[in-house]
Amino acid sequence: MKIHRGRIAQHKHDQHLREYLKQNLNELIQQKELIIDGKVKTQIATLDLPTLKFAEEAQYLAQGAGSAGSGTGAGAGGGAGDDRVQALGGLLGGDHHGKELRVELDFDEFVKLAQEVLLDELQLPTFHEPARQGEVESQDIPELDDLDRIGIRADLNLEETMIQSLFRNARERGTLDYDVDIQQDAWYFVEDPTTFQNNRSVEVYVLDVSGSMRGEYLSLVRKTIFILWHYLERRYPTNLRRYVVFQDVAEEKTRDEFFCVESSGGTHISTGFEKAIELLEGAREYDKFLFMFTDGETSSGDFDLAKKRFEEARGAFDLVIYCHVNPGGRGIGGFSEYVQETAKAQEGAAFANLMDLETIRGAMKDFLAFFDAQSKRRVSETVRR
Amino acid sequence: MIQEYQPVIRELEGLAHDRGLAFDPVVFQITDSDEIAQVASMGLPNRFIHWYWGGTYKELVLQQTKEVFSILELVLNTNPSHAFLRSTNTYLQNVLVIAHVFGHADFFANNHWYRKSNKNMLNLAEQHARLIRCYEAQYGRDRVEKLLDALLTVATSVNAFERSPQEQRKRLIYYLEERAPLEEFERVLLEAIREEAEYFDIIQRTHIINEGWATFVEAELLNRLLSAKEWASISTQLCNRPAPYTIGYTLFAHVRDQDGFRRALELRQFYEDVSLIDTALTEELVRRLDIFVYDAKEKQKSYDLQKVKEMLIAQKLFKGEPRIEVDPASQGRDLLLAHLDEDRKLEPKRLGLFLRSVYSLWRNPVKLRANGKVYTYDRRGLSST
Repeated sequence: MKIHRGRIAQHKHDQHLREYLKQNLNELIQQKELIIDGKVKTQIATLDLPTLKFAEEAQYLAQGAGSAGSGTGAGAGGGAGDDRVQALGGLLGGDHHGKELRVELDFDEFVKLAQEVLLDELQLPTFHEPARQGEVESQDIPELDDLDRIGIRADLNLEETMIQSLFRNARERGTLDYDVDIQQDAWYFVEDPTTFQNNRSVEVYVLDVSGSMRGEYLSLVRKTIFILWHYLERRYPTNLRRYVVFQDVAEEKTRDEFFCVESSGGTHISTGFEKAIELLEGAREYDKFLFMFTDGETSSGDFDLAKKRFEEARGAFDLVIYCHVNPGGRGIGGFSEYVQETAKAQEGAAFANLMDLETIRGAMKDFLAFFDAQSKRRVSETVRR
Repeated sequence: MIQEYQPVIRELEGLAHDRGLAFDPVVFQITDSDEIAQVASMGLPNRFIHWYWGGTYKELVLQQTKEVFSILELVLNTNPSHAFLRSTNTYLQNVLVIAHVFGHADFFANNHWYRKSNKNMLNLAEQHARLIRCYEAQYGRDRVEKLLDALLTVATSVNAFERSPQEQRKRLIYYLEERAPLEEFERVLLEAIREEAEYFDIIQRTHIINEGWATFVEAELLNRLLSAKEWASISTQLCNRPAPYTIGYTLFAHVRDQDGFRRALELRQFYEDVSLIDTALTEELVRRLDIFVYDAKEKQKSYDLQKVKEMLIAQKLFKGEPRIEVDPASQGRDLLLAHLDEDRKLEPKRLGLFLRSVYSLWRNPVKLRANGKVYTYDRRGLSST
């Protein structure tokens, strides 16, 4: 067997990198622009041996970028008016002046790493297997009501398979025969109802970008989202994520934009709820979640409308999780207090006062409890049917 | 697959000999991009595995997917020379590469400075790798890895061109080899790393002349082998290469045009980067190559021959690294290092890490005079006065 030295070295390098990033996670996660071109740019210089280097210098050797092609053409070059300059140090086997290389990570890689660190810090359970695995084994599963389902392909959708076989025979032979060819026709499966209803989700993340959206605030929001993802991804292999930011008005953003937001304007929480509900239009997924992150009080005059929209959201979503981002640990009042009270008294809403890692941990416990309750409810509903 | 190229290899070899080139046998093999990235990152195919190569490997694998920056070939300074051709190259690309490889092989065999280089490096590197694996088993991976990190850090101070033992002793690695209180296995590893570093030091100090010569030979041979139309398309590609290739090539082409091919042969035999630049770079070539000293503050370019030359030579003399020497005042347990270009600032963050590495080998306080201060690293850590 050939030893792949390159990959082993890369594995070792990545282990170092992970350790290094773990130590700097808190700083990284607070970057205002977390994703640029799909990558998380860090302030960490490429992992290097600690050799000595010159500090940034005023003068260095360079070449006109794009001048390489003009090397031999008689009288070519010049380029004095060309503003593009490429530092030559590194290319000549020398030092790297100019822009220093920074470690870049794919966003997914970064999230995975962050989850690893956070779950460890919070001492929350890490799921390695999909959570629904246990449910399938439950004794409470009702008899399946499809046609005969035994053997290796117990979940084969016989009806659909036979229809497809009929079509194929009509097409290929010109006869309407139910002559099933397993290789060609048996591609249709009945989803287990207990998992079918349970493996898709729509998640709408709504972020208040008014005022003090920076530093510790951002850190708490992002940490909460990353941990939520850890659980949601294992629960729902297929999920649709939508992102909304709001201040006076709300607008949908892409994932990358959501993680690179500028703060400004007032706080109209109603607009956030309204936009989130709007995004549900046409969504047929079974579980619909709304995660609202806000740090402040809704603007005067918006309170009643916010209440109304919140109630509408509770009706439209399976669960509305309202995260009051509160790094300073101040008291809760106004609209947040209203949501907190509603969440205590009624179903379909949860309230989290995010002050630090410990409160994120508490919020996750509440959130996981929702799944527990939901699973029990579903099983009993199915049995009743 | 390589059989396909045997006729053209023979033809190019014949043409090379006709032009007065002479070289050791070259073993060509066709391999994939991944293996090329692997060898390029480690320097040799069977070198010991270290995390530092892993970072380079990762970058090269990415680069290999981008046509513009990908590596088409690799050739080792060994006897016989081993040349790796990338399997995804087109036939014409490989013809170019083969001619280029003969240029390198001729340089390895004839350049004065390469006489000192170890042509048995493949075996030696294998031996070192096995030794390191044994030590890892005996002394633990962590300990050996930390030692290798420190050794690779100080290994940049090698100078394979330096013949005077007195001058050599001013360089950190040789000083440590002679006087550091190392255990036997540590000393063996220091020698191994120093030997490998010297092998690569020669390559680094002849980067421009070696690549320039190989490109020049490539052009000379292909000009004779290809049809006028093929040659026309290839000759533009020759100029579209990284800086060391174009600078070196332009200098050789200029020398040939001015003083004839014989003179070019002489340069490749007796010169290295510094002497080539000093002798052959002219004001006109500086303009043609569009190389300049760039003032980042003023955003101004200077094409002044003297300034460009000085900066190029300074980069090549010290491989772009700060000139650190062991101060003659170092006595007994005191190790005092001095940065010779006191006007140039060193990156402060790296100072402590560098001194910690040196301290791990010297095991006694280490001082460094730089940035207008004296930095000390001892058992309490870093301090400065």
